Amino acid sequence: MFEVKNLAFTYRSRPVLRDVSFVVSPGETVCVVGANGAGKTTLLRILATLAVPDYGSVRMDGQDAFAHPIAYRRQLGYMQETPALYEDMTVRGYLEYRANLKGEPERRIRRRVGEAAEMCQVADLMKKPIRTLSAGLKKRVALADAVLLRPRLLLLDDFLAGLDAGLRSASGAILSSVAAFSSVIVTGHELPDLAKWATRFLVLRDGVVASTVQAAGADAAALVARVEKEISGGAK
Amino acid sequence: MSPVRVTWRRTLGMARSLYSNAIATAGFFAGAAALFAFNLESLEGGRVHLAAVWTVSVAPLLPVLAALYGMDSWSDERRSGRVDMLLSAPVRERDLALGKFLGVWTMTLLAAAVFHIVSLVSLAALSPRLLSDASPFAFLPGFVALALQSALWSAVAVWASALFRHAAAAACATIALLSALPRGLWLAILAWAPQGRISFGEMPLDAQAFDMASGVVSSGTVISYLILTGVALFAASKAVASVRLVGRGARGMRFSTLVAVALSFVLAGLSIALAVRLDAKFDAPLGGPGGLRFSARTRNILEEAHGEITVTAFLSRKDARFRPVGHFLRALGREAESVGGVRVNLRYVDPKWDLGAAERLIRMGVEEDSLVFERGRRMTWISLRDGYGERICASAVLRVAMPPQRRSVYWTTGHGECSFEAYGNWGMSDIARDLMSDGYRNVALDLTGDAQVPSDCALVVVAGAKSEFSRVETGRLENYLRQGGRLLVLLNSVDAGGVATMLAGWGIRPTAAALSGVRTLSGTDVIVSEFSGHAIAAPLRGSQIVLERPVAFLPSAAADAGVGADRIEFSPLATAGGACVAAVTERGAGAGDDLEIRPTRIVAVGDVGFVMNGQLAARANANRDFFLNCVAYLSGTDAVTEAGTEADRLVSGMDRQRRVRFILVTSVAFPAAVFLVMVLMVAGRRRRE
Repeated sequence: MFEVKNLAFTYRSRPVLRDVSFVVSPGETVCVVGANGAGKTTLLRILATLAVPDYGSVRMDGQDAFAHPIAYRRQLGYMQETPALYEDMTVRGYLEYRANLKGEPERRIRRRVGEAAEMCQVADLMKKPIRTLSAGLKKRVALADAVLLRPRLLLLDDFLAGLDAGLRSASGAILSSVAAFSSVIVTGHELPDLAKWATRFLVLRDGVVASTVQAAGADAAALVARVEKEISGGAK
Repeated sequence: MSPVRVTWRRTLGMARSLYSNAIATAGFFAGAAALFAFNLESLEGGRVHLAAVWTVSVAPLLPVLAALYGMDSWSDERRSGRVDMLLSAPVRERDLALGKFLGVWTMTLLAAAVFHIVSLVSLAALSPRLLSDASPFAFLPGFVALALQSALWSAVAVWASALFRHAAAAACATIALLSALPRGLWLAILAWAPQGRISFGEMPLDAQAFDMASGVVSSGTVISYLILTGVALFAASKAVASVRLVGRGARGMRFSTLVAVALSFVLAGLSIALAVRLDAKFDAPLGGPGGLRFSARTRNILEEAHGEITVTAFLSRKDARFRPVGHFLRALGREAESVGGVRVNLRYVDPKWDLGAAERLIRMGVEEDSLVFERGRRMTWISLRDGYGERICASAVLRVAMPPQRRSVYWTTGHGECSFEAYGNWGMSDIARDLMSDGYRNVALDLTGDAQVPSDCALVVVAGAKSEFSRVETGRLENYLRQGGRLLVLLNSVDAGGVATMLAGWGIRPTAAALSGVRTLSGTDVIVSEFSGHAIAAPLRGSQIVLERPVAFLPSAAADAGVGADRIEFSPLATAGGACVAAVTERGAGAGDDLEIRPTRIVAVGDVGFVMNGQLAARANANRDFFLNCVAYLSGTDAVTEAGTEADRLVSGMDRQRRVRFILVTSVAFPAAVFLVMVLMVAGRRRRE
């Protein structure tokens, strides 16, 4: 069980997040949506321990993320909005480097890299230098890195941004398979695509969780319309 | 694989694809080689180890190299956003910082090692004698010193890179902190108070490298570098961690981080102060050029002086000279033990800490910063301001261990001679002070009055007379010489104030020098390295003296004429370009021991400027030793100064052409080749990608 409680974050005296609380169950895919500047990326950065909140707690199975950061990060996969990879490395070299860095035992690295590459559909790019890949393929490599050690919590920031329709659909399929072993928190603006595999939407507005929209069983178009309405202010 | 190792390998991998590293490496090779060639030339003939020269040539450039290698280590990660990927991985910041540091350090050491190999291979090809006596381990202490220093430089470079988003800013900050600031401060201290050089010695960073390269390992220095490296790494890991400290909630953590770093610096300062206070020194047991060797004269003195001598180094432990003085005195003690002579006990008295002992010394009239030699109730001390070299200390041992005996050297005056009391560049006060240290008294001699040459005269020196000696004066000198007198003539021209005529009567004919194919440094001077087997010159073989437009000497008609006690023997001492530029004649040498005739001895040297203050200060060569050997021989002292073996002295034997070739190979061709290869490698990698 992943639990965020009363999270607040202020950047240069501007409150970005205020009293954000939610819970994510195992196997759930939660989409955090909101207008630009609503605090989605900041929230994910805090959950990835890349920023320290003013107050509030982030807990994985009761264990505080900031009190035990190494143990927490072992169960975490994080993909940032614009993947920053080592361009001089090949895909295989990069994934092996990341697996090594994350402390995976040597004997399991080859298997882990192979599985992640298969899952993210980059297995045929393994010998290619990252410099030569397109932005979409780089995102897949970054995703392979994030799921490399089968994390219990996967954080994907603006996962579908900049991808064409084909790649978006393929990425959605990847995400569905990842959800088999991970809780996923994903941010983005592509509501129709997100609605296909989200179990729940968290709508962030002015730094607070304005509403929670359950996706299970809902009609996709109606769901998107409702979420859009929540994003733009509910009553309007 | 540990995160440290993974990060280390990645840092090395990234370095291979950066053009900036090709420029940094080639620039380092070019700069270090130029500095090495310059130091080799300026220290030619000096009593300094090749390993130390090599080390101090590389040491000043290492901070710059480390700064350039390390500038991208974190800046690039921050700029590209990869730092988020690193910090979201289950790795401690200190492991990441340590891995980056090890990568930068490895590259810095690799560059130093490659330069070591290349410079020495070039040197071996162009000056085999320089390396012929070098122990394979002679360079090890110097390399350890560079490794210690470069560890600190690399840690600071990584720290700066973590603080600055722009690599250039990180490099500038590192260079400013490690190189410009300490060297600028040092220059400012010297400009503000030139006596600072006396108080502090050489630039501390260079001095530490030099000491260690010479085989003096100081625990205080080693511990200081280790502590500072640790603190810099701690600060670097905190700087990396602070990347995530944004937002108001992190203010407290930011403050506590700053306090932690500040406290670590304070703690490091205290630890270093303690380490320096309890400093222990030991000599690296490497043999070869790593240790000091003493001359035959010093060994003779130590062997003949029996009993026990206490040598007290009366100076602050913080003084830059403390380490080299301690190293030297311990070597002196070992030498005395090895020849089975006097036993040397060493004591150190710090004027600020050992108050009781310091008070006793001050009551005895001893000044601070001095070496005190005591044997029973006899005591003498030498001020470190005047130097503490082998000859000075051997003379001090002689004074306390041998029966008191003071001989006088008389310097003629009134004919434009150089004065032994003049302190300028054209004076001879330095060499006169050396004579005093050797137990001589310097006295001016005016022969124009009624005075004859005094009976306590060990020898008469005519140092570059310009105007004529009167007949009375010449007569008095002739009279002195006929009674077994000793004369040292330094000529600045063939005529030399009429002294030439007198010399001709004693077997020496000055003549205009016709030198062919001589080696020279400035074009007007002559490097003399061919020495005869005479007692004065033989010990100087393997070293060189430098004379300015020397006068040459030929045997006159009087030479090798006469029989028995009247026979005058002419012997050349040193030759250059086929001409004899220093000669000695002796009358009565073969007369037989039972006659008890004191032989007349005259030494003529074809230059007067070679022992002037300016010349002695400008270059390290055997000029001083040559002069003192002449004095020792003329005054009848058997123990002459030995210039030492090749291992003791830095004698490259390279002429101008070879020097130019050495500079071209190491400072131009090799760096250019390295640059080309590295650029091609980077370009090749990028093209393949």
